[in-house]
Amino acid sequence: MSEELLEEFEDEQDAQKGMFMTFQMGGECYGIAITFVQEIVGIQPITAVPEIEDYIKGLINIRGKIIPVIDVRVRFKQEPFEYTDRTCIIVINVKSTIVGLIVDKIAGVITVDEREIILPPSLSQSGSVSSKYVFGLAKVDDEVKLLLDPERLIQDEDIAAFGEVVSGTEVSAEA
Amino acid sequence: MGEDFNTDSMLDMFLYESEQLLETLENVVLEKKDEDCFDEASINEIFRAMHTIKGSSGIMMYENITKVSHKLEDVFYYLRESHPENVPHLELVDHVLEVSDFINGELDKIREGETPDGDESKIVDEIDKFLTRIKTGIEKKGDELPPENTYVEPEQFYIAPTGNESSKYYKVSIYWRGDTQMCNIRAYTAVYSLKEIVEDMQYIPEDIITNEASSEVILADGFHMLVKCQATDEEIISTIGETSGMDHVEIHDCTQQEFEMGFHHQEEDNIIINLDDKEKGSEEKKEKKEPTPGDYVIKNKESGKSKKLAKNQPKQQPKQTYISVNVEKLDALMDMIGELVISEAVVLQNPDLKVPGLDLTNFQKAAGQLSKITTELQDVIMSMRMMSLTNTFQKMNRIVFDVSRKLGKDIELEVIGENTEVDKNIIEHISDPLMHLIRNSVDHGIESKEDRIAAGKNPKGKITLEAKNEGGKVYIIVRDDGKGLNKQALYDKAKNNGLIGNRAMSEFTEKEIYQFITYAGFSTKEQVTEYSGRGVGMDVVVKNIQSVGGNLEIDSMEGAGSEMTLKIPLTLAIINGIVMQVGNSTFVIETNAVKEFVRISRDMLVKEPDGEEYIMLRNECYPFIRLNQRYHLEESKTDIEDGIVVVLEHESKFICVFIDELIAEQEIVVKPIPSYIRKVQGLSGCTQLGDGSIALILDIAGLIAGEERK
Repeated sequence: MSEELLEEFEDEQDAQKGMFMTFQMGGECYGIAITFVQEIVGIQPITAVPEIEDYIKGLINIRGKIIPVIDVRVRFKQEPFEYTDRTCIIVINVKSTIVGLIVDKIAGVITVDEREIILPPSLSQSGSVSSKYVFGLAKVDDEVKLLLDPERLIQDEDIAAFGEVVSGTEVSAEA
Repeated sequence: MGEDFNTDSMLDMFLYESEQLLETLENVVLEKKDEDCFDEASINEIFRAMHTIKGSSGIMMYENITKVSHKLEDVFYYLRESHPENVPHLELVDHVLEVSDFINGELDKIREGETPDGDESKIVDEIDKFLTRIKTGIEKKGDELPPENTYVEPEQFYIAPTGNESSKYYKVSIYWRGDTQMCNIRAYTAVYSLKEIVEDMQYIPEDIITNEASSEVILADGFHMLVKCQATDEEIISTIGETSGMDHVEIHDCTQQEFEMGFHHQEEDNIIINLDDKEKGSEEKKEKKEPTPGDYVIKNKESGKSKKLAKNQPKQQPKQTYISVNVEKLDALMDMIGELVISEAVVLQNPDLKVPGLDLTNFQKAAGQLSKITTELQDVIMSMRMMSLTNTFQKMNRIVFDVSRKLGKDIELEVIGENTEVDKNIIEHISDPLMHLIRNSVDHGIESKEDRIAAGKNPKGKITLEAKNEGGKVYIIVRDDGKGLNKQALYDKAKNNGLIGNRAMSEFTEKEIYQFITYAGFSTKEQVTEYSGRGVGMDVVVKNIQSVGGNLEIDSMEGAGSEMTLKIPLTLAIINGIVMQVGNSTFVIETNAVKEFVRISRDMLVKEPDGEEYIMLRNECYPFIRLNQRYHLEESKTDIEDGIVVVLEHESKFICVFIDELIAEQEIVVKPIPSYIRKVQGLSGCTQLGDGSIALILDIAGLIAGEERK
């Protein structure tokens, strides 16, 4: 629904252009385009699902909708962290896939001019896993924000592998 | 989205309405197929259905449908008007079904977004010939030909006529016998039935419904109506019909002027009208004790202004007791009610309420009321998704009719319990399997007439289609009194087709042998007929039924018939589940799959050197799964004597599952696991529990399959 509204009111979309929701995680500050963000909820009980990737923490229930949640730290191959009261779940909607991102804490909303976005440095320099999910850097108030590409964040080479696994299990289940 | 809906809604309505009409039509025809002719009610029914389809297809500009329905309408108009005898009934039934099939086919095309381009001329020609034949049959007998149905419906956009040149005006008076009770209600019934055919009418006394005293007035003076319509006076009389206590009905032509003046005018100028009245009526008037002018005055004082019933609505609207709602809306409503239930739990179990010493008496009362309403709300939305099996069963009627006639068998279909309600989704899934089973019964089950007579049976075969509710499941039973299944033949066939390897017949139970017919590539029928016998039927049937969580049981007695029982869950969305805990995780198992709960002592557990475990229970050995090991769950019980073992059954296979503890049995709403998470074997979905937490639903088939693969 929110998507339809956005399409209808182009003004509003323009207003949202260049706006990023930023959040803190392990000393770094990340940003995600606000158009993807559906809502932000506090941390809540997560139901673990067995036999899935370690970074998918499980399922949460937001007003009757069951949504998988990803621990972004684990996704970035960083040390897992204890969830506290300040821990938040950012619910994002990427091409109709709704996923929650567990982050340390929300920093705020920034506006970045498209021209000010710098392409990330090459892998050799940073060497961090997170860089493959970062599409650009933005400097706001002397602080560098790492801008995330949510599509790559939730869907990457692993997904292709899932596909095979899923179809495999289905066939065997029917047999 | 809203716009799409608007432009399509007319088409939707047309499709929906026509479909409904055709369904009723088919039912009427099939109901009467064994009789010698249609009775008046069914002729009217068919006539009306065709008339409506003709009109609405004209509006939608589907010319071929209009033509075909017009032709059939002609036939039934003729039947209705002249009651011909010796109409070849079966031929007529064929024509009606043919037309219904043709229109259905065209409707399908429209639904697919294609142009309905079927050629109607053949059907029209045939019906034409048929009509001429029955007409000439009458002529020979010297009867008078009734007038042709000259009523031509405008083919394009039109509004139901409120009157035109050909309208006729009548004055109708009904008199009841002196001792008749509640004349006002009887009068209203007459008015109501006339509404069908008239364009406009007025009557006195007009407060027949609100004023009980009007009954006496009617009794004394009769009930008078002025009607404007295109029907003949005979039609009007037949529409009013005979009701008990009715003495006689009088009908006179009158002019438009008189009609427009209404009864009002009569009150002031009664004499003139009496004089103006057609001579034809004047003689009769004396005998019918025309009320004196004074009566009119009194009546009009009582009743005030004359009421007019404009006839602006389309004529035969189907009963307005149903509205069609987009299923998506229902689903959205169901989701919202789910959310409501959770919010309710959040409020009622709010930690803020747990302050010691808080007086919550009033709160609890209000909370109780709220819970009651939300529970009822849930029940209502669930029941909204339930549909009776009537339509599905009626379709079977047609199949039995068609197939048995083609095969030259005489078969009667008995339907029991067609009002049983099932979730809409499930109905969609069982229609095809059911059709298959019925066809099988007609084709393979019931013997030919000669064989039946030779076997000393009633030459007329009988198939019973029964539905009933039992233990949270719906049973649909197809029973025939045919030759039954031959175990030896089934076994030989299965063996020859390599379906069972080399096992001896004694290794199988009776039911297992019957189940052979559900194996892919099995067909006992030597010859493949048009309807069945390709050996692809039964396994598809079983797959379809399993996809909605049901199963098929087969029972048979050789020589006496066979019985196929479909057991399907009432609904897919809600299951009865047993909630259980393993470590920190909550799981749900469908209650129907649970055979028993047992506490196991250590000596009942058999451990193989490779680590695989079995449980010996009453001298039987069951495979055993520790859920905590299977899913690597921490903080769960490991000692077999601390926890509980659940014995599960799926398709006659058993498995024991070790869990920590049982929590509750409750109804759960099944939700899919988000597709983002890859499929985990042994889990079929998830659900939210009353406190808003999520539990995973175990898929027994998956668990067993996983165990077997090891």
